[in-house]
Amino acid sequence: MMKESDLTGKVYDIQGFSVQDGPGIRTTVFLKGCPLRCPWCHSPESQSFASQLSWMAMRCIGVEKCGKCLTACKKGAITVGESTESIGTGEKIKLVHVNRSLCDDCGDCTKACYPGGLSICGEDYQVDDLLKRLCRDIPFYKQSGGGVTVSGGEALSQPEFILALLKGLKEQGVHTALDTTGFTDFKNIVAVLPYVDLFLYDLKHMDSQQHKKVIGVPNERILENAKKIARAGGKLQIRIPIIPSFNDSEENLRLTGEFCKALGDAVTLVQILPYHNMGVAKYLRISDDPKIFETEPPTEEKIQNLKEILESFVLKVTVH
Amino acid sequence: MITLKPITTRVLKMRKNYRETMPKVCTARLKIVTDFYLENPNITGILKRALVFKELAEKMPVLISADEIIVGSMASTYRGSALFPENDIVWMKADNEAGQLFNRELDPYIIDDEDWAYISSVIPYWSKNSLSAMTDAYIPEGYFAAVGNQVTVYGDKGICAAPVGHFCTNYDKAIRVGFGTVREEAKGKMADLEGKMDAGTIKKYNFYRSVVIVCDGMITLSKRYGAEAARQAEACSDLSRKAELEKMAESLNWIMEKPARNFQDAIQIMFLYQIGMCLHNNMHAPTFGRVDQYLGSFYKADLAAGRMTPEEAQEIYDLFSLKVAEMNKIWSSGTTLAVSGYTVGQLMTLGGVDKNNQDATNAVTYMMLQTAARLELHDPPLSLRIHKDTPDLLWEAALETTKICGGVPTFENDDVIIPALMKNNRMDLESARNYCLIGCVEPAGCGDEWPACGGSGGEAYWNMPMAIVHAINDGHNPMPDFFGNVNENRTGAHTGYLYEMETFDEVLKAVSVQYQYFLEWQMSMVNMFEVVAAEHMAQPLVSCMMDGCMESGKDVMNGGAKNNSCGVPGVGIGNAVDSLAVMKHMIYDKKICTAREFYDAIMSNWEDREDLRQYILNEVPHYGNDADYADEWATWLLNLFADIVTNFTNVRGCKFAPGLYPVATNVLWGLMTPATPDGRKGGDPLSDGISPVQQLDKNGPTAILKSVSRIPQERFSNGTLLNMKFHPTALSNESGKEKLEALMKTYFDMGGMEMQLNVVSVATLRKAQEHPEDYQNLVVRVAGFSAYFVELFKNCQDDLIRRTELTL
Repeated sequence: MMKESDLTGKVYDIQGFSVQDGPGIRTTVFLKGCPLRCPWCHSPESQSFASQLSWMAMRCIGVEKCGKCLTACKKGAITVGESTESIGTGEKIKLVHVNRSLCDDCGDCTKACYPGGLSICGEDYQVDDLLKRLCRDIPFYKQSGGGVTVSGGEALSQPEFILALLKGLKEQGVHTALDTTGFTDFKNIVAVLPYVDLFLYDLKHMDSQQHKKVIGVPNERILENAKKIARAGGKLQIRIPIIPSFNDSEENLRLTGEFCKALGDAVTLVQILPYHNMGVAKYLRISDDPKIFETEPPTEEKIQNLKEILESFVLKVTVH
Repeated sequence: MITLKPITTRVLKMRKNYRETMPKVCTARLKIVTDFYLENPNITGILKRALVFKELAEKMPVLISADEIIVGSMASTYRGSALFPENDIVWMKADNEAGQLFNRELDPYIIDDEDWAYISSVIPYWSKNSLSAMTDAYIPEGYFAAVGNQVTVYGDKGICAAPVGHFCTNYDKAIRVGFGTVREEAKGKMADLEGKMDAGTIKKYNFYRSVVIVCDGMITLSKRYGAEAARQAEACSDLSRKAELEKMAESLNWIMEKPARNFQDAIQIMFLYQIGMCLHNNMHAPTFGRVDQYLGSFYKADLAAGRMTPEEAQEIYDLFSLKVAEMNKIWSSGTTLAVSGYTVGQLMTLGGVDKNNQDATNAVTYMMLQTAARLELHDPPLSLRIHKDTPDLLWEAALETTKICGGVPTFENDDVIIPALMKNNRMDLESARNYCLIGCVEPAGCGDEWPACGGSGGEAYWNMPMAIVHAINDGHNPMPDFFGNVNENRTGAHTGYLYEMETFDEVLKAVSVQYQYFLEWQMSMVNMFEVVAAEHMAQPLVSCMMDGCMESGKDVMNGGAKNNSCGVPGVGIGNAVDSLAVMKHMIYDKKICTAREFYDAIMSNWEDREDLRQYILNEVPHYGNDADYADEWATWLLNLFADIVTNFTNVRGCKFAPGLYPVATNVLWGLMTPATPDGRKGGDPLSDGISPVQQLDKNGPTAILKSVSRIPQERFSNGTLLNMKFHPTALSNESGKEKLEALMKTYFDMGGMEMQLNVVSVATLRKAQEHPEDYQNLVVRVAGFSAYFVELFKNCQDDLIRRTELTL
C-alpha cells in the first residue's frame, strides 16, 4: 500500500501572506480541478484536473532575441506570430504563436522559455514536500492566529491527498481552513472533518434550477453537506459571490440568509464577495477561444443593501 | 481608538507658511564667520571654534516671527538657509558654472543678486581655507590608484561639506542642569589646572576654556531672543499676544543659564540648543534623541499643578515640530539627488524601555505621534522603539500615524538593538538601554556617544555589488565615466577574471579579497578625514553636554565622549546576494552557460544576452523569497562584511560598526554602477536597504521577512533598514492593522531590527507624478527618511513605484 506521505496532488499556486481566506496571516494552497463551471470564475486555470500550458504574451521578448521555444516544441505547435511592441523596451518584436490544437501540454517549450512567457500550470507535489513548504511560515501563523487554507478548484476532488495534507498540518499544530464548493460526496467531508478548523463554504444560489443552468450542477448536495457539517460540529464561514443578474436578487439573499441562520452557531461569519473582472486576462493564457464572462461589478450601494438583508438574520457579515 | 484632535488656527497658519515659503539663502552667518576668520588667522584649533560661536551668538539676527512661541532661527528670514564656508562653499561656484544653482528643480532656493555677489567674493578665500581644501593634502598616496572604483564613497579630493553630524548630545542635561552650571564646572576645572600644566593638561585646559566660551554664547543667544520678545511685547497691541511674548521673554531670560522649570522652558531649551549647534557647525543629521523621555516629567508636573492644559501642550509641541521642520540648508545639486526634500534628518526617538528595562511610554509619546499625523509632517522624522511590553494603544497610534504619514514612525526592535549595541565593547547595558536612533535608522547612544557616522560626517556608504564586479573583473571598474572613457587603472585588488575561475569557491575567494581591500580603504579614509577634521573643527558646544567630555576634558572629536563608535553602511545588499546565487547557479551548479559567456554578457550590459538575463530573473532563486539557495549567501556575505568592519578600529579607539541602509543613494549610485551578475542593467537603481531586488520578491511579505532574517542583524549595530510598501487597504480595517502588527512582531521575534512602512497605492503615486499640484502633502518613506513625494528626484519616485506593492 502507498504511504500517505507519497501521495501526490496537483497544485497550481501557493500564496503566502494570504489574508482574505480565514483568520490571521495564512498561506493558501490552490489545488487544481473543479467539478463546477462558474462562468465568472476568476481562476479558470483551476478548473481542469490536468496540467496545462499557460501562455502570457506580455512576457515574451520576441523571436529576434530568443525564439528557443520554436525548436523546443516537437509537435510543431509553436510558430512565429504577430509583431508587437515589447512592453519592457518598446522595441518592435515578433511574438510566438501557440497552436492549441497541436499542443499536448507536454511542457518542453517551457523549459526553453527563459522569460517565463510559457509555463506549465499545475505542479505535482508530494504531501511531505508540500507540508514543508506550508510550514515555513509557522512563526507568522502563531503570532497572528493564522494558518493554512486549502483551496481550489475543488480541493475535495483530491480526497486522499488533502486528507493526508490536513492531517500533517494538524500534527504540526497549524490552524487549517478548507475552501470548498461543497459539491462532493459527504464521505470525503467526514474524512477531513476532524482536521479542519474552519470551512470556507460557498453558497452561490438558493434555486437549484438556476444553479444547474448556470454552473452546471444542482445545489441540493451542497446545501445538504452544509447542514451535515453544522450538525457534526464543523465551523462554517459562508462566502457568497455577488454576480449581477445571476444571484444578486434580494429574494436570493433573503433565502441565503435564512439558510445560514438555520445552520445556527456553526456559522462564524458570512462574507460577501462582489464580482470583479480581474480574472478575465487569465482565460487567454490557457485557451485560444475562451468563454469570457464579463459584466459590470456590482455598485457599492447594491452591496450595502444586500449586506443589510443578510444582517437582518442576525449574522456577522463582511464585504471583501 | 486613536483620533486626530482639531488643530488650532495658529498652527494651521504656521504650517501653511512652512509649506508655501520657498527657502532663501542667507549670508548673515557667512559674513560673521568670514570676517572672524580673516581678522583672526592667529587663533587656531578649539579656541577658534569656540570664539566663532561667541561671535555668532552675539551677532546673528534674532528672528521671532508672528505666532511663534518656540523661537530660534538659522537665518534672517523664515525658513532661510545659512552657509558654512569653513566646511565647503566652493561647490556653489561649481554648481553655478554648471547652471545648477539658480532655479534648480530639486530643492530650489532664492538667492538675491547682492548676496550672490558677496558669496562669490569670498569663495577665493575659502577655496584655500575650508576643511575640504585642507583635507586634500592628506589623501594617502596609495588611495589615488583606487580612485574611481565606485565602491567607496571617496575621491581624490577632500569632501567636507558636512563634516560633523550623526550624533545625539545630552539634551536632557541641557534641560535639567543648564549651561550656567556647566560653565561653572568648567571654570573650576580650569582653576585646578592653572599653573600645573603638562602636555596633556594644556589641551584639557583649552577644552574647558572653550566650554566656558560656548556656554556664555548659548546664554547670550537666549537673552538676545528674550530681549527681542520683550521689544515685540512692548509694541504689541493684541493683549493676548502681548502676554504670550512677555512669558516668552521671561522664559528666554531664565533658560540656558538655569535649568528648565516647566514644559515650555524644556522645549525652548531643546530647540535653542539645536539652533546653537546648527549655527556653529554644518550639522548633518543632528539628532534629538528620546524627546518623550526629556519632556514627560515636565508635562506631568505642569498638568498636575494646573499650569497648562493638554491642548496647550499639544499646541506648543506642534509649533516646536514646525520650527524643526523649518530648518534646512542648501546642499550641492549632486547631494540633493540623494537627499532631496529639504531634509536635515533631525530624528526623534519615542517609546522603548527605560534604564530598568520597564516600558517608558508616557503622554508625550502619544503627543509626538499626534503631531506627526495631524500635521502630516515628515520632518522631524520619528522612530518608535518597540519591545515586548509596548502598550497596544501605542501600537495602534503608531500604525494609524504611518497610515496618514508614510513611514512615520519607523519601528525599532529593542530586543535586538540593545544586545547589538553591547557587542565589541561598543557600550555598556545602561547606555544601550537608553539608545536612540540617529540619522535615519542608526542606533546610537542618547547623550553619551559620538558615533559621527563616517568620521567626515557623511555616511561612509559602501557599494556592495560594485565590489563583486571588481572581484570578477580583476579589480577593474568597467563602467565608462560621463565622457565614455573606461578607467584603465586597476582600482581594486588583483583577483583575476571570472572566466579564469574554475570553481565557485574561487569566486568567493575573489569576493573576500575585494571586500577586505575596499572596506579597509574605506575605513582608513574615514579615519584620515576624522583626524584632519578634529584639528580644525572641534565641537565644544556639543561636548559641553555630551556625557564623558567634561570628565575627560576632551572634545568629542578627540574621543572625549563616553562611547565612540563609527558606522560603515553597505548599499545594494539584494543585488550583491543575488549576484552570488546567480553565478553559482548559472555557471557552476546548473551550467546554463560558461563563465566566459556569463562574463561577456555582463560586460556587454546584457546587450546580446537578454535570454540569459531573462533566465536569471525568472528561473534562479532570488533573495527575498524564503529560498535557501539564495538566502544562504545573505548570511555568508554579510558575515564577511561584519567580520572585516568590526575588526577595524576608528581614531577614537572603538571598533567600527557595520550597517545596512542606503537613504536614497541606491538610486544615485545605481546610475554609476555597471551591469551586475544578478541581471541588473547598468544604471538601474540598486536594491533598497536590506530589501530584495525590486520586483523579484514574488512570494509576499512573509517570505521577504524570512529571507532578511537570514542576515545576522545582531551584528549590524549601525542599523538595518527594511522598507515595506503596503496598499492602503492594508490598514483600512481593524483586522488589517492586527495582521500588520503580527507581521512585524514575527519579524522582530526572528531577529529583525527595524521596519518601516509605506501605505500608498501605486495608482496614487502615479497620479502624484502626473499631477504633483494635487499631491503637495503626500508623505512617503524613501529609505532612510520620509519626504513629500512630489519633491523627490524623478528616479526615486520611479523606484518607489517599482517596489512591489503588498496587499493585505
